[in-house]
Amino acid sequence: MSQTSRNTINLEDAKVVEHKCYSDQQYVLRLYAPLTAKEAMPGNFIHLQCDHSIPMRRPMSIMRAEPDKGFIDILYKVHGEGTELLSKKCQGDRLNLLGPIGVPFKSTGYRKLPLLLGGGVGIPPMVFLAEHIKNNHKNCKPLLIAGSEISFPFQVTPSKIMVDGLPDGVIASMPLMEDWGIPSRLTSKQGYTGCYDGFVTDLAKIWLDTLDPERLQQVEIFSCGPTIMLEAVAKLAHKYHLPCQVSLEEYMACAVGGCAGCTVMVNTESGQAMKRVCVDGPVFEAGTVFPQ
Amino acid sequence: MAARNTPLVLDFCGMKLSNPLVLLSGCVGFGEEYTRIKGFSNKDVGAICLKGTTLNARLGNNPHRVTETNMGMLNAIGLQNPGAVTVVKDYLPLLDFSETRFIANVSGSTIDEYEEVTRIFDDSPIDAIEINISCPNVKEGGVQFGNFPEMSAKVVEACRRATNKPLITKLSPNQTDIAENARCCIEAGSDAFAVINTVTGMSIDIKKRIPVLGNNLGGLSGPAIKPIALLKVHQVYQACKDKNIPIIGQGGITTVDDALEFIIAGATAIGIGTALFYEPLLCKDLADGLTTFLKENNLSHVSELTGTLRLNE
Repeated sequence: MSQTSRNTINLEDAKVVEHKCYSDQQYVLRLYAPLTAKEAMPGNFIHLQCDHSIPMRRPMSIMRAEPDKGFIDILYKVHGEGTELLSKKCQGDRLNLLGPIGVPFKSTGYRKLPLLLGGGVGIPPMVFLAEHIKNNHKNCKPLLIAGSEISFPFQVTPSKIMVDGLPDGVIASMPLMEDWGIPSRLTSKQGYTGCYDGFVTDLAKIWLDTLDPERLQQVEIFSCGPTIMLEAVAKLAHKYHLPCQVSLEEYMACAVGGCAGCTVMVNTESGQAMKRVCVDGPVFEAGTVFPQ
Repeated sequence: MAARNTPLVLDFCGMKLSNPLVLLSGCVGFGEEYTRIKGFSNKDVGAICLKGTTLNARLGNNPHRVTETNMGMLNAIGLQNPGAVTVVKDYLPLLDFSETRFIANVSGSTIDEYEEVTRIFDDSPIDAIEINISCPNVKEGGVQFGNFPEMSAKVVEACRRATNKPLITKLSPNQTDIAENARCCIEAGSDAFAVINTVTGMSIDIKKRIPVLGNNLGGLSGPAIKPIALLKVHQVYQACKDKNIPIIGQGGITTVDDALEFIIAGATAIGIGTALFYEPLLCKDLADGLTTFLKENNLSHVSELTGTLRLNE
């Protein structure tokens, strides 16, 4: 790295503003972290100390940032001791974090039909990206498809925004997207009402098949979720010759590029290389990490 | 050994360190990575050890490479690096040598490779060379050299032939008699020691019944290994004290009291690794804390504490 990368990540004591619990031990945490909120972009993450008793930090995607108010929102699911302790934090508690970290999604608006595919705790960056597209690329018409095999961490609502070509009855949506006028649809194999019975890629394929060649050329895929889902997304993008960016996750120690603990194999012009998810990613071109 | 104009400034094998704090190899990339964090400065530490470097580029191990443990973490990076020539040509020019001292960390699969990599760094602005004879995470070389005094000495001898820069040998805790190993390395030309490298360990995914780390085993670091490291520093100090060979004490140091324990056990400098992952700006606090302790105890220089341990009768 060059010295131009210096001073790009904040270290701040964030304050818990709100902490909402949803089913299946999922939480949305709103933090007052003004330095991070000011600079955060979709795809960025924070490296959060969940509790003083567990000093190793956890990387967590930023779901929303409100620079004016200094807020960032994080969605997480209790997974182990660290997130269990985090779930006990109350309004006013302080949490130390590093952020924002990582290469964000490149959203230029040059393709007018962004397709956002999120799975599980990979949904948050898609929410952030949807908001970013709404605010910055007004001529784009994004579609968000989110999948989960546990209850969705929001009150699922029937959508009032029509999406041509989707199966009848697939109307479950994310209320925040409805508020923003962005169509969203949900998928699950758990039989939830209004959700498509399948994976996000299955519903995405149905939608892509309804597009004429001209509209298909306007699609660009952005995705975050479990590795197995991202592999399927990369395959889908390849099949339809669509540009695709995926956000990866990996165990991390430093999260600033120092330890090389979070690397993934990436195909580059000069051959295979191990790239750090923290600072070389977490967003990569799908074809470089999941070669077809 | 001490430059006594300020209480923390040290002479370490002819290098002037602004304070005894050394950032450890493998934790801070090739010296610039932590400067991404606002408020972090390489000027806040006495020296920085760069990432382990071999002759040819290495991709390193498959994921997962790190995993958290009780009061520590396991890592098995596998010496991912771009090769010594690239490090010297492309990475060292990015470093500001006026900010701190930079130490290369040399690794190899054969004695010849250690010698060659050392020679490449000898012809560079690097301030000193750390010989990594104790990396537990590669399938060849590394720990195999470090666990046997005769083999360790051969590696040191070869590196000594290739450079007149200060040579610091990084010793493994995973061996029978670390002090004997240190004696052999001194004979072979080691100017200093880094004590200790990580302790080998394993973590298992009980659902899949496989090791969590891609490399199966890894090196344990963090507060969990501090008592082990402290004893090893004490033991190595017995081999060093009459020969004026300094030690970088390292292994789980997270507080000022930890640092003081290592200095009292025999360390001249203090290595910080995993604790950086906890608190990236920790070194400022450690330096302030050491200064305060010296003042409160009417000591004019940190070296007055080194090796002052009095064993119980």
